[in-house]
Parts: sequence; C-alpha cells; structure tokens
Amino acid sequence: MKRILTLLALFGIAILFAQTASNLTEFKENIAAQKAEAKTQLNPYRFDGSKITYFNFKTYKQVKEVEIYLFNNTDYRFSFNGKSLPNDITIEFYDKNKTESDRVLLKSFSEIQGKNILVESAELNKTYQSKKNTNGRLKRVFVNYVITAVAGAQNKQPTMKERGAVVLVMGYKN
Amino acid sequence: MKSRAYMKTKNYWLATAFVGTALLLTSCNGDGEHNESNELNTVDTTEATSDEDFEALFDSPEVDYHLPSPLQVASIFKKSGLSYNSGATSDPSKSDLYTSDLKQMLNFGVYSADMAYCVLNEQSNEARKYLEQITFLAEKIGMEAVFENKDLIDRFDANIENKDSIEILMVDIQERTGIYMDDNEMQHQQAVHFAGAWTEGMQLGVYDFENNPNKEGVGSQIAEQMSILSSIIKGLKDPRNDGMDIGWLISDLEAIQARFDGFDSVTAYFEDPDALELTLTDAEYDELGEMIKTLRTKIVNG
Repeated sequence: MKRILTLLALFGIAILFAQTASNLTEFKENIAAQKAEAKTQLNPYRFDGSKITYFNFKTYKQVKEVEIYLFNNTDYRFSFNGKSLPNDITIEFYDKNKTESDRVLLKSFSEIQGKNILVESAELNKTYQSKKNTNGRLKRVFVNYVITAVAGAQNKQPTMKERGAVVLVMGYKN
Repeated sequence: MKSRAYMKTKNYWLATAFVGTALLLTSCNGDGEHNESNELNTVDTTEATSDEDFEALFDSPEVDYHLPSPLQVASIFKKSGLSYNSGATSDPSKSDLYTSDLKQMLNFGVYSADMAYCVLNEQSNEARKYLEQITFLAEKIGMEAVFENKDLIDRFDANIENKDSIEILMVDIQERTGIYMDDNEMQHQQAVHFAGAWTEGMQLGVYDFENNPNKEGVGSQIAEQMSILSSIIKGLKDPRNDGMDIGWLISDLEAIQARFDGFDSVTAYFEDPDALELTLTDAEYDELGEMIKTLRTKIVNG
C-alpha cells in the first residue's frame, strides 16, 4: 500500500514539475515577443543588447539593480517592456549604485505594467546636471526595479501569478 | 539555435526522465522500512534540485550590469578618430591553436571585436575571415547551433558591399548568441567572451594611438573604456567559471585596473565632478598600453 501511495505521490510531483516547466517555457516565449516589441521602439537608435530582469513578488519589497555604461558623445535610448508584470512596479534611475547614500534620483516612473516605455540618456543627463549643478555628464546609470510587496505571496515557492519580468532593450545613436 | 518547441519538448522529457528514474528507484527497493526511507530521500533531493534550477533561472541577481557590444565599442572608437590599421587585428588563421575552453571563448571575443572593427571600416573581405573563425570557435565552445544553418555566412556574402546590412548582421549574431546563452544557462561565460573582446578593442585603440599622430580622441576613449573593466572582472569571478583555469586572466585584469586607478590623472578626474573627459599623461598611456599589449599577447597566443 505504501508503495502504491509513493508511486502516486511521485507521479503527482512529476506532473506538477512538467506543468511548471511548460508554464515557464510559455512565460519565456512571451518575453521573447516583448523583447522584439521593445526593440522596434528603438529606431533610429541602434540595438545594443537587452537585459531581462526576472523576479518573484514577495510579501516584502525588493529592489533589483542594473548598471549601464554611458560613453562620451553617445546618446542612448532605453526601451522598457512591462507586459510580463502581474503587478505594477516602480522604475528608478540613479547616478550611483544603491549602496551609495548620496546618489541622485534622475527619473522615476510606475504604471509600466502592460506597457512599453522609453527613456533617453539626454533627459537623464539634463536632470543630473541640474540636480548636481555641474557640467559633467553621466558615465553610467543604475536602473532600480522597485518590486512592491504583495500580501499573501508564496515567498519560497512562487506561483505563476507571482512571477514577473521587465524587458530592457538598449540602443545607441551613432 | 534551439527552437522553443525543442525547449518545451526538453522540459517534458526531463519530467519523463524524472518519473522513470523514480519508478526505477522504487522497483529496486526491498520491503524493509530502511529501504522505504531511502526511496523518499532520493525523491526529495531530485525535486529540490529541479526547483532550485528553475528558481535560479527566473530570479535575477540583485545587482546586475549590461556590457556594451563589440560593435558599439568599435563604433565609439571610430567616432573618436580611430583609423583602420590592417596589421593590428588578430591572425584569423590561428583559431586551430586554441584548444582550451578558456582560450576558445576569449578568442571568440577577440575575433568578434576584430570583425566589428573591420565591418565599421568597410573591410568586408577581412570581416568575412573573422566571421568564419567565429563560426569555427562557436562550434568548439558549444554554440554551434547559433551558426548551424549557414544563413549568416550566406547573408554576409549577399550583402558584402553593403556596410549597413553587414552591421545589422553583426547585431543579429550578437542577439542570437545572447538568446542561446540565456536558454542554455551559459550567461556566466559572456564575461569571458567580453574579456577577449574588450582586450582586443583596447589593443586596437592603443595600436592606433601609438602609431598615428594627433589621436587625443582615441586616447580619451581608451581611458573611458576602462570604466567597464570592473564589471568584466566581476563577471569572470562567477563561480561557474571556476573550472577554466581563469585565475591568471583575473589577476592580469585586476593588475590593469589597480594600476589605472592609481594614476594621478585618474584620481584628479574622479575628484572633480565638473571634469568632462579623462586624459592620461603620455607616461600613463604608455604604461597602460604596455599592460594591455602583454595581456592581449597572452590571449591570442595558443
């Protein structure tokens, strides 16, 4: 009897595993389509690469950071796609990483869920020069994804409803 | 490139294999209590490993970075006044000599930078040689699927006189490589490719700076490209790269970083928030250039 129960349990686990794998494959396929969509928004900037940031909504707030280099005399466009977000998040741009207490917030926006939003380095540089009262320019920016807390989220074994991703596609102008 | 249908099938086969293994383990057990206990332990371990793998794939690190493509780096150098020097690129006939994983990955990056440099300088025939070697090395490092149907070479040949089309082709290669590495959990190796591409890009800049007069723009660009070195080193230190005897590369890059950070011009630049451009002294350029050339020689020698 124990053996039968064990077999049934194993079978159940295997089905669950296959289902999860299938759902995650579909999740990834959607992201590929969103990346293509974000890429179309880059024109006339030249595509330089992408960064997909995956996360799981939890019962506490999280911040994920992506550092991006900006080179002299080059303009950049950042195309964010939030169509794989089950909940909204906030996206913030800083001049320094999150361990630096004197960093400057250059731009912040939310309501990215289900949308594609563009940001350009010219705008960030202008804010940086104004807030820092300097003629210098940004040499890098730090994109922070502020992932809001979700009450009742399964922190250890997230469900598909708690999984999210932001697609970031970067372009530069020659 | 592995298709999405392939990935789906792969996941189902993984599940089937899991069931098969579990059934086999069950059937091999005796009737005693001790064996039943072992059986359950085995199952628990397998399940946990699978879950961890999935979670790692779908939960990005807290801190991450984006490195510029070889094409962007070449483009920025060119805009800064870098001219084409035919003798400065790596010998495309040497790829057979690269037998270790590390050398193959590094020179995949070196040849990518050389190809970008040739494309932007409208040296299509040279660029094609590098594309062939990139294809060859891709096969060696487990990325043959990126180039397997030969459409990239065919497209290159069809557009050999059209610089814009060749640039778009380079972007496609970069994108395909990125997707392939993501799908096959090879992202940690990107830092190794990039270390090769970065070293070659810097070497091309140093070569031009040393051999052509009035290259202040190129000099500034060499200094600016140093900013990404810390991220490359961070990427190389990913524990998943440990099996590649990568210590010497990290040490050499860290030595370059430490020397650069110690230059007076660099200290002064970072202390002045209004400084627009970092310009090294001649002695600093010479010292940095020598370190870059030494590392590049180590990378391209088989």
